Amino acid sequence: MLKVPEHQVAGHIASDGKLGPLVDDQGRFFKPLQGDSRGQHEAKFYESFTSNKKVPDHIRRYFPVYHGTQLVEASDGSGKLPHLVLDDVVFVYSNPSVMDVKIGSRTWYPDVSEEYFKKCIKKDRQTTTVSLGFRVSGFKIFDHQESSFWRAEKKLVLGYNANGARLALRNFVSSNSPADSNSTPNCAFVSEVYGGSNGILAQLLELKDWFESQTLYHFNSCSILMIFENESILMKEGDDAPAARAQVKLVDFAHVLDGNGVIDHNFLGGLCSFIKFIKDIIQSVDKRDETDTSLLENGH
Amino acid sequence: MQLKAPEHQVAGHIAKDGKPGPLVDDKGRFFKPLQGDSRGENEVKFYESFSSNTEVPEHIRRYFPVYHGTQAVEGSDGAAMIVLENLLADYSKPSVMDVKMGTRTWYPEASEEYIQKCLKKDTGTTTVSAGFRISGFEVFDHKELSFWKPERKLLRGLNVDGARLTLRKFVSSNSLSDIGSKPDSAFASSVYGSSHGILTQLLELKNWFENQTLYHFNSCSILMVYENESILKGNDDDDARPQVKLVDFAHVLDGNGVIDHNFLGGLCSFINFIRDILQSPNESAES
Repeated sequence: MLKVPEHQVAGHIASDGKLGPLVDDQGRFFKPLQGDSRGQHEAKFYESFTSNKKVPDHIRRYFPVYHGTQLVEASDGSGKLPHLVLDDVVFVYSNPSVMDVKIGSRTWYPDVSEEYFKKCIKKDRQTTTVSLGFRVSGFKIFDHQESSFWRAEKKLVLGYNANGARLALRNFVSSNSPADSNSTPNCAFVSEVYGGSNGILAQLLELKDWFESQTLYHFNSCSILMIFENESILMKEGDDAPAARAQVKLVDFAHVLDGNGVIDHNFLGGLCSFIKFIKDIIQSVDKRDETDTSLLENGH
Repeated sequence: MQLKAPEHQVAGHIAKDGKPGPLVDDKGRFFKPLQGDSRGENEVKFYESFSSNTEVPEHIRRYFPVYHGTQAVEGSDGAAMIVLENLLADYSKPSVMDVKMGTRTWYPEASEEYIQKCLKKDTGTTTVSAGFRISGFEVFDHKELSFWKPERKLLRGLNVDGARLTLRKFVSSNSLSDIGSKPDSAFASSVYGSSHGILTQLLELKNWFENQTLYHFNSCSILMVYENESILKGNDDDDARPQVKLVDFAHVLDGNGVIDHNFLGGLCSFINFIRDILQSPNESAES
């Protein structure tokens, strides 16, 4: 039985008879192959990437595992359509907070149609893509006070400026309610999620290292997905508590092109900017904790 | 004070049709005319800010020209000029290259007209594809024993392979004007590769750019310079003294807490090109 994924934060959503991805109960994610060659293009990327010996093993963990294509009953009732079959990256989480960040100071690339170029550059200039080198596409976080998920509205997210993006990144690792505009995010989980030897920052730095020399692919318009488990944080009692298992995944490869001997400087610049934002949050929390530990209790 | 036109200017404005161009004196100073429509003012503002900015680490200052204020100069109708260190004063036979850094030369705060003009140029050059473009260069040909400078038209039409070839030519001894000959990259290790060579300096800059949020160096260039005299003399003691300098700050803006991801992306790409040449000096560019 296929159903609509619970934790999708950006991209097409299969709802109200619209075409979108589906998941099964075995941890597989079915993404419909979009028309106008984008879907085929994404399949081609996955096929190339899966068998590319030049991709180091430690980098593969940042990409969804590919299981070929399959004819599946489409979510909009239009019959059996080819779908990409991937590992559902959130399957191993029970209560995941998820954020989708589109990386790069431009989402267009050489040789696209004039129409597509105009559409992309307009959006890039209206959002933080041009100014910051990345934009938050969507996120949902678990509100520990309300014990429910809070999902950011697309309109809100696309209207972010630099401070909005910064605030969203803080909210992502906070336990207090993002809906409450009076409270500042407490960044309660910053060290478990962003920090630590296996946290988001460490993973981003590993990716950055690869991007400084890899000339295999240009990841135009790709997103970084950040995921972490809330369940373990909720149950947290001392040092035996399970980890938040924060994970970085690259997703959305409909516009990936061959690197042709040049590094993906567009993605890399944006990634470095994103890394700086995360670093700044970690440092500001460290500083705050040094001066006044009681602030954490005052978060609500 | 005797002022004359600089010998080795490779990019930017030159004295033409009665409009002032840059000048140099015999005391190691470079006089740059203030460009119109606030660009000159913006450049002065940057130099003033940078010179006194205590957040700029000492080891980074070497990559910037020393600023000596502004001065009205005789023979330029009393127009003010920016007085800078002449970067080539200590070189007798310098090879010079100007590389404009960044995947885009425009920035959000610019006028729509300017943005469109920049976009057009960026997409037509290696700026969009490689994250940098070669604006100009002059290189000493060790076979002809003279300087060679390409036509500006040639540079504008460069694609990625052309840029790669040009970066090899920059450190080659063989006949450069001959398009057919394969560059020998004879000086790659002493210019690009030595312990204080171009690559080492670029990596130091990259390190700073990964964290600095002080300035956004829109449309700035990296100038690469090295001495041919020592190579000609076959002198082991006197090295080629390769140097990296950032130049052209008419469009620099405040960083506002964000790193200069545009410059950094381009810089990383440029570093990769230099590395490739060091790793395979005998390979010619794929056509």
